[in-house]
Amino acid sequence: MKNKQIGMKIVVSLSAIMLGILVSFLLIAPTGVSPYKAFGVLFSGAFGISGKVWPLWITLGQATPLILTGLAAMYGFRVGVFCIAQEGQYVFGALMAAWLGVQLQLPPWLLVPCIMIASIVIGGLYGLIPAILKVKLGVNEIISSIMLNNIATLALEYLVAFPLRADSGQKAQSAVLPQSIWLFQFVKGSRWGISFLLAILLVVITYVYIWKTPRGYELRMVGKAPLFARYGGVKSDHVILRTMFIGGGIAGLAGCLEVLGNYHRVMTGFSSGLGFDGLSVAMLGGSHPFGVLLVAILLAGIRQGAQLGLQISLKIPRELGGVLIALIIFFVAIENVYRPYVDKLYSKLVVVISKIGKENQKTREVQ
Amino acid sequence: MEKFIQFDDICKYYTSSNVQANNHVSFSINSGEVHAICGENGAGKSTLMNILFGMEQPDSGTIQVDGKPMLFKSPSDAIASGIGMVHQHFMVVNSFSVAQNILLGSELGKYGFVNHKREVDFVNSLSQKYHLPIDPNAIVENLSVGLLQRVEILKMLARNVKILILDEPTAVLTPQEVKEFLKTLRQLASDGTTILFISHKLQEVLDVSDRITVMRKGRVIGTTETAATSIPELANMMVGRDVILQVDKPKAKPMQAVLELRNLGFTNGSGVKKLENVSLTIKAGEIYGVAGVSGNGQDALVSCICGMIEPSQGKMIFEGKELKGSSVQQRRRQGIAHVPEDRITVGLNPFATVTENALMGYQNRKDFSHRGILNKKHCEAHAKTIIDSYSVAGASIGSPVGKLSGGNMQKIVLGRELATHPKLLIVNQPTRGLDVGSIEFVHKMIIKERDAGVAILLVSVELEEILALSDRVGVLFSGRLQGELESEAINEHTIGLLMVGGTCT
Repeated sequence: MKNKQIGMKIVVSLSAIMLGILVSFLLIAPTGVSPYKAFGVLFSGAFGISGKVWPLWITLGQATPLILTGLAAMYGFRVGVFCIAQEGQYVFGALMAAWLGVQLQLPPWLLVPCIMIASIVIGGLYGLIPAILKVKLGVNEIISSIMLNNIATLALEYLVAFPLRADSGQKAQSAVLPQSIWLFQFVKGSRWGISFLLAILLVVITYVYIWKTPRGYELRMVGKAPLFARYGGVKSDHVILRTMFIGGGIAGLAGCLEVLGNYHRVMTGFSSGLGFDGLSVAMLGGSHPFGVLLVAILLAGIRQGAQLGLQISLKIPRELGGVLIALIIFFVAIENVYRPYVDKLYSKLVVVISKIGKENQKTREVQ
Repeated sequence: MEKFIQFDDICKYYTSSNVQANNHVSFSINSGEVHAICGENGAGKSTLMNILFGMEQPDSGTIQVDGKPMLFKSPSDAIASGIGMVHQHFMVVNSFSVAQNILLGSELGKYGFVNHKREVDFVNSLSQKYHLPIDPNAIVENLSVGLLQRVEILKMLARNVKILILDEPTAVLTPQEVKEFLKTLRQLASDGTTILFISHKLQEVLDVSDRITVMRKGRVIGTTETAATSIPELANMMVGRDVILQVDKPKAKPMQAVLELRNLGFTNGSGVKKLENVSLTIKAGEIYGVAGVSGNGQDALVSCICGMIEPSQGKMIFEGKELKGSSVQQRRRQGIAHVPEDRITVGLNPFATVTENALMGYQNRKDFSHRGILNKKHCEAHAKTIIDSYSVAGASIGSPVGKLSGGNMQKIVLGRELATHPKLLIVNQPTRGLDVGSIEFVHKMIIKERDAGVAILLVSVELEEILALSDRVGVLFSGRLQGELESEAINEHTIGLLMVGGTCT
């Protein structure tokens, strides 16, 4: 039973991707470039393993913050809160890192963990705001979290323009962090480094937390069957607050890792929608940590391939990558429209596969 | 008076729940009368009204309105033919004004613009015509429940309905509002509107109606002139004498008191008293049955004891200690188990597996989780024990509970709750919607627990169930304990009388 559900999820995601690619074909055709070629280039630009810096490494580097914001959004979905404040949490996590990294004078081995913890805490606290408003006052979390995102983005613009501004140069940006606390990158210029391992670790921890612990059990019950949880004595308010703190903390950590491992400072325009992307990742990934991991890599790949492959080698605007992602999300969102067909196809497929399996067994028995 | 609506041999069978909701129903309604339809829960009153209003289609039979055969495909058809219905749950737009709500869907105006003044004038003249005063500009969310109901009635009258169906209209009203409302009904009837009034509160029915039709188990028992009948006679018709489910039950041996309620009261957020001055004692080794028509305070009573809501007054003494202030979890640990009325959304999580459902309430116990990690083997063994010892057909530890039949779902709830070895077991409507075999099983389980010394609080709106199981019976009416009966005094006539607000003499 459970296997079938997971199977269906994967089939739906795959069909959304296929449909997205199909429609993109139609969009590429008028440019005169063969869609097959375009997708070949897109793929090698995303997951290629050639050249000095493999495109795959770059993709994995870019996937890192997406994995984390995707996990952050997933916690909200699982507990039944549609909080979209990951962008704000991400921004505050980054600001905390950029500020502490310059201000605190500590040995690097102590400073880095301190910065990470501070970023997690501030992201978590920022995540608590819409949760408290919802639980205590019944404020709609979507509205409050959109507003909180605006506050965070504007706060960032102000802070980098004035208090944190490093020089009076043209660009408003904070000071560069001391090189001793930059996070290690496996391949220079790829952005792929320690942060990626941390993200993978969090994927595993999240999986264990949600499916193997009593707290995760309570979280899932509150999300899926709130009345059942309340009847069973689960303190739903506590569970929601705790979960939103964890989610916020992970988004905050995403911002922190981008600063420590990648940009080494914050600048105007730092908030580029990574938090929002986390929502798509969580949705496409079926609110499952491993799904989040795969989808984050896929989306980062499409973006990377569009930039490296399409724009540079084929002169097709890289925005096509964005269009492709949007199409995929669109097809997941309207899943109900084509789901019955996919369902039929899938059950046919299962029958065919089991037949083949049986025949194989027969032939083996005969032999 | 001529016959206005004629029901002829209406049958309706629900395959999903295996219920014959209407069984060859035939009777007629005269024009301009207030006609009450009475019956217990599940007697088929609402189904019949839904058929008349076009929300459901009958399997067979015909309805004649004004001499012409009519079967409505949808409520809008019914309204177009002059039949309006006011549901128990109001269907209003909270942020709109009264006038906007009344004219929703048939706004007055020209060229796609709404003429606000015309709408207000229209509502004013409507409310004067029918003597239903209301401020057309008031915003609906600020109105009391009584006024909301008036808005709903005006909404129907604005569409020129000749027949008004009211489904349990007084269930949500305060006693003062009820008085006012009944006056309104008489007023409407004298203005020529035919009123169909569904209720099981017999006093109201006697006060307001011209004729009364009583239904039981999908059949019409009879139609009488209101002037020629009385509460005991109606109660007798409603409850009747049916085959009582036979349960082998040794005599109870009640022991010490387990739960004592003293003057318990609960007032909800909108100021309605759901419970008032309820005092009762439940002893170990006995089944205390709480009878009553649904919605008379049973939910509040159960929720107070389980800790889902805090009572506004009174005391709850469990094993000598006050319960107030302790959480649901603490009460569960102290030995209160609860089989809720709604097993699908409250008692279980239908999307989760049997193991996950069996785990609720145990997840933080030492043997189920260690250092913050669930002990998978132990959780699954626990679920397996429940499946095996209650022989839950079709269930495996990993299958979703939502796929099971109602009886098997209930077995899982019962199994989980009894595995705590409770001192007090609350069972709320334990056999609702179950087939005969499952009912028997559940009843046997309850009696077995009683004989093992558990105090049992049985809440049921099924009189037969109360009669078959209870050692003592308390009857709730309007949130009060209308009466308490013991051993020989327990019979359906007395309970039926108490259920509808009468007193035992």
